[in-house]
Amino acid sequence: MRIYSVDEVTGYLRELLESDSLLTDLWISGEVSNLSQSAAGHLYFTLKDEASQLRCVLFRGERLDLALENGAAVVAHGHISVYEVTGSLQFYVDLVQPEGVGILHLEFERLKAKLEEEGLFEVARKRGLPPFPQRIGVVTSPGSAVLHDITNIISRRYPLVELVLAPTPVQGDGAAEGIVEAIEALSETEGIDVVILARGGGSLEELQAFNEEKVARAIASSKAPVISGVGHDTDFTIADFVADLRAPTPSAAAELAVPHRSELESRIQSQQRALVAALGGEISQRGTELGHLTNRLRYLSPDIARYRQRIDELTKMASMRVASLLTIDREQLRSRELELGALSPIATLSRGYAQVQLSATGEVVSRVAQIHRGDAIDVRVSDGQFKGRVTTLKKGLQAWLKDFPSKKG
Amino acid sequence: MAEGLSFEEGLNRLEKIVQTLEAGGLSLEEAISLFEEGMQLAKICNQRLDAAELKVSQLQTAFDKEIHNKGESPC
Repeated sequence: MRIYSVDEVTGYLRELLESDSLLTDLWISGEVSNLSQSAAGHLYFTLKDEASQLRCVLFRGERLDLALENGAAVVAHGHISVYEVTGSLQFYVDLVQPEGVGILHLEFERLKAKLEEEGLFEVARKRGLPPFPQRIGVVTSPGSAVLHDITNIISRRYPLVELVLAPTPVQGDGAAEGIVEAIEALSETEGIDVVILARGGGSLEELQAFNEEKVARAIASSKAPVISGVGHDTDFTIADFVADLRAPTPSAAAELAVPHRSELESRIQSQQRALVAALGGEISQRGTELGHLTNRLRYLSPDIARYRQRIDELTKMASMRVASLLTIDREQLRSRELELGALSPIATLSRGYAQVQLSATGEVVSRVAQIHRGDAIDVRVSDGQFKGRVTTLKKGLQAWLKDFPSKKG
Repeated sequence: MAEGLSFEEGLNRLEKIVQTLEAGGLSLEEAISLFEEGMQLAKICNQRLDAAELKVSQLQTAFDKEIHNKGESPC
């Protein structure tokens, strides 16, 4: 045994109260009385019912959903502790709601406000979903219609994935713990890209697991982004607020988790078209470039073919010209020869004719009238010449023909 | 080469090839070789979609063990 100081005892009481799970987080209903506000802005009041009363304090800045006044019936949330200065037991209130609201709803609002203030719902916290997930974790009840729907939808839309089911009860005792365990198990599983947290529609009581703080915290610390698909479109749970993406229904969650096959097919198709168009463009551009280059080349380079042809033509013309010249020469030569042959006096002389010239003058005698009897003449025959003297003259062709016996003999 | 790619990698590569081709500035040989690779990738991606079958596996959770031990049906 020992003697304690007052401070030791109040301190011990305080520690005791603040480590009690019930007293640290509870809702109390009662009627407000003795309401006062301190200079600092804190509210002091008493909650009472027929039998008892409890000192309460609500520090400035805590949430107050109604104008507090004496006689009001309220439900307050907070924790019980000892105010050591006065040694009195106090209810430290952090939320006051009007009486008549169901406890689940109260709890929902309280937790929502608390987590919101912590920043758990902030858009900046939300993680994007992978466009092409490979392993999708599914946290829901095994064998349920919800799981069946999710499997069907993903199989139809994007069968390239593996669904990894993390089975858990989704309502009743142990549901929240099961969900937490399932999410944690998926975080420890290799390669999970996204988690679908799903449950069909139900009452606030049936969806309670999705409104519990431990589930909210498990979602927030999941390794992979979480899509919530809980209940119907009109049901909002705390899980929805914390999730990286909220889907109105479990089926919608499945649709949001994967790309749509037909979109992918048309995407592939449009890429194929773009490929064909791009290569076609490339080729036709090359064709045009080639055309330009060919034209430039033609323009810039000497036209060998043309020159070759020209040379051909010139050669042909030259040889024709030479040939014709040669032909002409040959013909001319022949006709000259003929001419020469025809004119040659030797040919005539060799046929027996003779050329007579007057010796005195050298005049060629072709008519009788040119000469006189006694004239000296030079006679040329085919193989030489001799001199003579004219003895007889007979004029007229008859006389000449009559005296031409050698011709007849 | 392309057979080892995932669907996503295949589609990304295909889209990159189209961008490269559309940007131009390639030799004709490069363009044709990219075109062929792209067409091959498109074919493979389509085949992946056609041939795929959804795989489903299940993790062992405490709840799962519980149902199997007790033989109870889940809610």
